[in-house]
Amino acid sequence: MSEKNKWKYGFFLGCVAPNRYPMIESSIRAVFDHLGAEILELEGASCCPAPGVFRAFHIPTWLVIAARNITIAEELGVDIITGCNGCYGTLRDAWVELEHDHELKKMVNGHLAKVGREFKGSIEPKHIVQVLYQDMGLDYLRGFVKHKFKDLKVAVHYGCHIIKPSDKRPWDGECEDPTFLDEIVEITGAKSINYKDKLQCCGAGGAVRTAVKEISADFSREKLENMRDAGADIIIDCCPFCHLQLDLGQVEANNLYKDMIGEPYKIPVIYITQLLGLSFGIDPNLLGLVKNHDLKGVSPFIPIESFLEKVKTQLT
Amino acid sequence: MSENVEKYIKRKVYKSTSSGIAQKFVDAGLEKLRACINCGTCTGSCPSGRRTAYRTRSVLRRALTGDESVLEDIDIWLCSTCYTCYERCPRDIPVTDMIIKLRNIAVEEGHILDAHFDLANKIFYETGHGVPANGEANKKWQDLRESYGLPPLPPTVHMHPEAVKECQELMKSVGFRDLLDKIENIKEKEKEEAEKSKEENK
Amino acid sequence: MTEVDKKLNITGNEKPKIGVYVCHCGVNIGGVVSVPDLVEYAKTLPNVSVGREYKFFCSDVGQKMIKEDIEAGLINRVVVAACSPRMHEPTFRIACKEAGLNQFLFEMANIREHSTWVHMKEPEGAYEVAKDHIRLAIAKARGLAPLAVQKVSVEPACLIIGAGITGMNSAIDLTAAGYKVYLVDRSATIGGHMAQLDKTFPTMDCSSCILTPKMSEISRNKDIELLTYSEVTEVTGYVGNFEVTIKKKPHYVDQVKCTGCGACIDPCPITVGNEFDLGLSTRKAIYVPFPQAIPSQYTIDMDSCVKCGICAREDVCEPGAINYDDEPEYIHVKVGTIIVATGYDEYDPSELKQYGYGKYPNVITGLQMERLLSSFGPVVGKPVKPSDLKDPHSIAFLQCVGSRNFREGGNKYCSRVCCMYATKQARQYKEKHPEADIYIFYMDIRAFGKGYEEFYESAARDYGINYVRGRIAEVRENPLNHNIIIRSEDTLLQQPIEVEVELFILSTGIEPRADSDSVTSLLRIQKSADGFFLEAHPKLRPVDTLTEGIFIAGVSQGPKDIPDSVAQAKGAAASAIGLMAKGEVEIEPFFAVVHSDRCSGCGMCIQNCAYGAIEFVDDRYYGSVASINKALCKGCGACSGNCRSSAIDIIGFSSEQLHSMITKRE
Repeated sequence: MSEKNKWKYGFFLGCVAPNRYPMIESSIRAVFDHLGAEILELEGASCCPAPGVFRAFHIPTWLVIAARNITIAEELGVDIITGCNGCYGTLRDAWVELEHDHELKKMVNGHLAKVGREFKGSIEPKHIVQVLYQDMGLDYLRGFVKHKFKDLKVAVHYGCHIIKPSDKRPWDGECEDPTFLDEIVEITGAKSINYKDKLQCCGAGGAVRTAVKEISADFSREKLENMRDAGADIIIDCCPFCHLQLDLGQVEANNLYKDMIGEPYKIPVIYITQLLGLSFGIDPNLLGLVKNHDLKGVSPFIPIESFLEKVKTQLT
Repeated sequence: MSENVEKYIKRKVYKSTSSGIAQKFVDAGLEKLRACINCGTCTGSCPSGRRTAYRTRSVLRRALTGDESVLEDIDIWLCSTCYTCYERCPRDIPVTDMIIKLRNIAVEEGHILDAHFDLANKIFYETGHGVPANGEANKKWQDLRESYGLPPLPPTVHMHPEAVKECQELMKSVGFRDLLDKIENIKEKEKEEAEKSKEENK
Repeated sequence: MTEVDKKLNITGNEKPKIGVYVCHCGVNIGGVVSVPDLVEYAKTLPNVSVGREYKFFCSDVGQKMIKEDIEAGLINRVVVAACSPRMHEPTFRIACKEAGLNQFLFEMANIREHSTWVHMKEPEGAYEVAKDHIRLAIAKARGLAPLAVQKVSVEPACLIIGAGITGMNSAIDLTAAGYKVYLVDRSATIGGHMAQLDKTFPTMDCSSCILTPKMSEISRNKDIELLTYSEVTEVTGYVGNFEVTIKKKPHYVDQVKCTGCGACIDPCPITVGNEFDLGLSTRKAIYVPFPQAIPSQYTIDMDSCVKCGICAREDVCEPGAINYDDEPEYIHVKVGTIIVATGYDEYDPSELKQYGYGKYPNVITGLQMERLLSSFGPVVGKPVKPSDLKDPHSIAFLQCVGSRNFREGGNKYCSRVCCMYATKQARQYKEKHPEADIYIFYMDIRAFGKGYEEFYESAARDYGINYVRGRIAEVRENPLNHNIIIRSEDTLLQQPIEVEVELFILSTGIEPRADSDSVTSLLRIQKSADGFFLEAHPKLRPVDTLTEGIFIAGVSQGPKDIPDSVAQAKGAAASAIGLMAKGEVEIEPFFAVVHSDRCSGCGMCIQNCAYGAIEFVDDRYYGSVASINKALCKGCGACSGNCRSSAIDIIGFSSEQLHSMITKRE
């Protein structure tokens, strides 16, 4: 059976990935194409809406707009994949809630009907890591590994909404000690290191970054300090917002807390599919790792040259 | 007024434990708020509480006991919704969902940070994205997309103005537009009051 | 036949003359509906000879009214419309009996719980419902026939399952009253969990000091047949007449020849974890559970033994007691009563990953701490850190581990003993190490018993134990020294705190035995929602089960401390004695009977009977038909309701009687 037919997904982009960290979008497209999955566009998708801000402002709006996004994929008859913990959190939580509460579903469909849409609950919102680990499986992924890192110490950052609330996630309730992202990282030969408070939130979400940036920067400062203490070469994450918070946020932490941290942090922040793509032998240009412009004030904010050096010297 | 009176005399008296806020939770199916035994697991788990004055448990206790000042407190906006408390509560209270509901109640009364309000009113409502890339102001992001071989705008609402209209229609239907207008009025009034008292104090 | 029977000509076929007595029950009934009107209504119905009202028919005056009508020959059936039969059915039945009327010619209409109490705000509706109940009761009363209670003899012996502190105390009381006891325990020793404890709160009595004399008493008592390392495999029969099969597991060591000298221990090459010490020490494949075990003979754990033959050598085991070919032995005994005292399991906190049990060496459970404190434990009473075997200078306890947990799969109940045992352990450690910092993290401190609050107060005031009101959120390990770093909120200060300690003790709670289902299916008793055995009434019958003749006691009924366990042990023994003392028991005659001529032998009733009361018998005329054992039958009606041939009736609730209640509308 052609792999292309087996895995067909609607790619939910969200906001941060396409509009601030497009290299994340590229790397997901490149890796999924390489693995034989077919990606369909979800034309006209909006903000998921972001759980920390918009759900906090008005839950019914959050639910209706989320349901609208899901219906775009329902019309194509494909599961949604997203590379963002926040979008995953919203789409999945909305999906579970609407499945279980018929009154709520009626209310939402009452509004959706006005724009000719109907939430049916016929497709499942998935995270790309969920697809890699469960739909495809490690054995399948290992088959694509062409190059392995010899000595790369990775501080893996899960983020929060990919594993919690655990009753609405596909990880069997595991949220204190997950290993699935570490396992994916390690098929590339890199070593996932243990560091203090590994599962702590990055601080971006929940409207905190937009409320008081200094507070979210302190979250990152603490994480970066722990990662640096444990000797991390790079950070791997699976969420563009965490990615932003650890990348741009690293610069912010360096400035705001320069008295506390001593030497400024300079740990490259890499998205999971970028690492995987390198291991699969995909052209780094397609993975968004090569700078092809002169733009100022754009991502990545922490230079990734030290990582690219390792890529050159280490990959067998 | 004596400085010491202002400094030391506190006249706030504890009210009862049945409050309007608590009733809103009950009506929304979140009656588990009343099962809280204040064990502190939530606050102990909270990554924000470790570095701010936000106390998960206290905020919910204040909601339960009808302390309306909690709605104006910035503390309720310092939760990063990491869900750690939700996973550990021994009374199986969906703590994070409680905080989100509390924020909803606060926003309904116009207690929302200006930054958040602008995000909702000017950015989300107008563009359909929370972090937009359209317009001149965002040209460098479009250029960045192109440098990676992607179209300058993604195939989202950014390339589909009819989708933006659809979202706006939905937001009107579900009452979001009205809420935003109401908040705009409240904020206008607050600004006027602030200006007036500044004048008076001169 | 009594005088009254003669006067009333009670045969069961006489014309019914029903007396209807409607009770006001104070204002419970009278305050909602018009009792006089109900009496007038009743009198309009056929076969009603007398109708009366009174404030409290259950009182002496009220009962006298009924009795006088019976003795005067005015009535031969009694209907009382009042409270629930569960309240006063026995009262009125006895009144009938005393007046000479068969007690089963009485019917009760519940117009309180089933009418005025539930429809307090709708008096018109309540009135209609009350009328219905009265009419139904009268219809039933017309069809009643006199019945006789059944009497069965009782075997003067008791089976006690579980030889912990509870089982042992029941055994002692039963033999003191002159009954034989079969005391069964599946462990190789008696004593149960109490043998693992060091000191007991609040008196700080040494557990062994108060336990071992009881254990000796048990072993000396000629009326107790002690069956350790044994399990009950089958129980049939009914109250007073239980047939029990007990499997004596093979020790592989002759229990008569073995002198308990222990010469086999050193040479044995197989070392395994010691269950008694909860994995903190080791034992050999040939072992006694602990030094003071009773019986003191040895056992070979055949799962670990490799049959090397060393212990069987003449120069090792002088008496030649080793027998690798040992087989289980099955014995059959007959008893009149059974007491279940099977105790509890300790909660396993491995699933609470945020507390690091099983991951970090210096996190242990309450029972493990107990073994560390024990004078015959792995460290002879001087607790040390598992990581480096040094004395900890700072300890923290976390309460409510595995208890008071409303999350999915959690135990919702409070385990009752942990607040006290943590305080006890804290005091014990502080006595040995006055300089140590000791914290107890709690949600509530439950110090409910005699001397408990005083014990707790002294722990804080005299011993300086730090009570912190906050449930620990998570811990992590200090990689340099394996110290445990605790994150919690001091809720009384509203402050997140971080505390580093050298030893972290999870005050784990009590759980029902993992295999308690094997007991419930063996004895056909029930469990309550929390998984412990179900008592017949939570307030008034805490040691009875719903199966007559079977009692429960101790922690198997629910978490409790030693004084309450012993109290229940004595209560169960007294109940068993009370049942056996008369030599016979009375059984209500409401059992199912099979009309053999209608039975098709399909066996549905046998499957549906939760009490195992039905079996096939060979009927001379009708072949293989169902037959019901009256003593086992509880009259629940499951068989009757499911019988496709309408072949089963419940005496006293026959299809005809029930039909008459619902079809005649007057």
